[in-house]
Amino acid sequence: MYEFLQYQVRDAMTADPIVISPKAKLREVEELFETHDFNGVPVVDERWRLLGILTKFDVLKAFSLDPQAIAPRYDAIMEQVIETVMTRDPVSVSPKLPLSRLLQKLVEMRTKSLPVVENDRLVGIISREDVLKALRRATIKHETPAHEGSRP
Amino acid sequence: MTTLLYTHPACLEHDAGYGHPECAARLSAILDALKAAPFAALEWRDAPLASIDQLTRIHVPAHVERILSGIPKQGYYAIDGDTIVSPQSGEAALRAAGAVCAAVDAVLQDEAGTAFCAIRPPGHHAEPSQSMGFCLFGNAAIGAAHARMAHGLERVAVIDFDVHHGNGTQAAFERDPAYLYISTHQAYIYPGTGRRSERGVGNIVNVPLTAGSGSAELREAWREDIEPALQQFKPQLILISAGFDAHYLDPLAELNFSEDDYAWLTRRIVAVARKFGQGRVVSVLEGGYNLPALAASAAAHVSALMEDAAGG
Repeated sequence: MYEFLQYQVRDAMTADPIVISPKAKLREVEELFETHDFNGVPVVDERWRLLGILTKFDVLKAFSLDPQAIAPRYDAIMEQVIETVMTRDPVSVSPKLPLSRLLQKLVEMRTKSLPVVENDRLVGIISREDVLKALRRATIKHETPAHEGSRP
Repeated sequence: MTTLLYTHPACLEHDAGYGHPECAARLSAILDALKAAPFAALEWRDAPLASIDQLTRIHVPAHVERILSGIPKQGYYAIDGDTIVSPQSGEAALRAAGAVCAAVDAVLQDEAGTAFCAIRPPGHHAEPSQSMGFCLFGNAAIGAAHARMAHGLERVAVIDFDVHHGNGTQAAFERDPAYLYISTHQAYIYPGTGRRSERGVGNIVNVPLTAGSGSAELREAWREDIEPALQQFKPQLILISAGFDAHYLDPLAELNFSEDDYAWLTRRIVAVARKFGQGRVVSVLEGGYNLPALAASAAAHVSALMEDAAGG
């Protein structure tokens, strides 16, 4: 049961995740969201340094009412490059961070996923779903031997 | 007294492009609602063209020239991302402003007590030298200036309950104490103006409302800000910039007015007009982008204009 405490972020994260360039357009990332079940896509430069993260929330925000236009210009907004709407300087975590601490961070920040950075380079992304999966794995491993051990 | 309805087929021909929220179907929806039996007493009149002199009481001549000469022979021309014109837009804009001037003439010559101008394009974002926010010419401001210049009125009020602040009307009036401009609008959306601190020469009253405000906040605005300003100013004529996009179903904003709120507010305005201005009210269509809500709200508004006119 306490095996979860042994896990680090690297044990549960999605390594080498799909990333996107800061110059990509919102329309392209919309396609990514449709194809994959992402909460957010890390935005990296050519050396995989993390520049930002583009979440579904950022995309929604880009289309919200603002004083510059009486009606949002939906087509024009789709053509914006994502560096103009992404969350800059996102909170990131180390792959060595205990998963229990990562869980705590997700709860406190109410965020859905966090990029994982090591040596100034993006190495993965970890989401609510990844942590849930690790929790299930940790508890199943505990119950199975106990159940078998109780057999005559 | 009669209630007049000014409109013109040209106002249906102004086309801002496929899917544009400020569309001819808005006006059709209102006109269809006003053809129903309860409105049989409305007297329909064709809107005349505004004269250049009427427009230049508010707009600089170069702006009028720029807009009218910029109307394309075919296709579309975008003045800005929101404001798009096509071949029939020039006549529509002249009929829109002309409707308000004609309605002002009619009520001041006692042909009617109240009038509603069912026109488009709308006007309250158009500044003296800048068209914006779907608006080409400042229809309500042009009507107010007509009342002042052609009829010699000394105190003319414009009440603007469109969900967006009427930056154009404010810009036209803010240095002239003969005009009072009162606006309720949603704070922090387009066009970004309309703070309480914008007071002109004491003749601008802005009542920004936060997203989610509805009947209660409207009544509070009337009691605390709008009615006291009107009582003090004693307008000889009231114009209304009647946008219906503060309705709870409107897609371009987040206020929650209902048809009943528009009827209530209209009755309050007419009551003030009867006290100071012989019941003279000229109302001018501005925004409103959910068609059923727009038609029902405009009908409630016109119905209230007719009630008091008939009763008084």
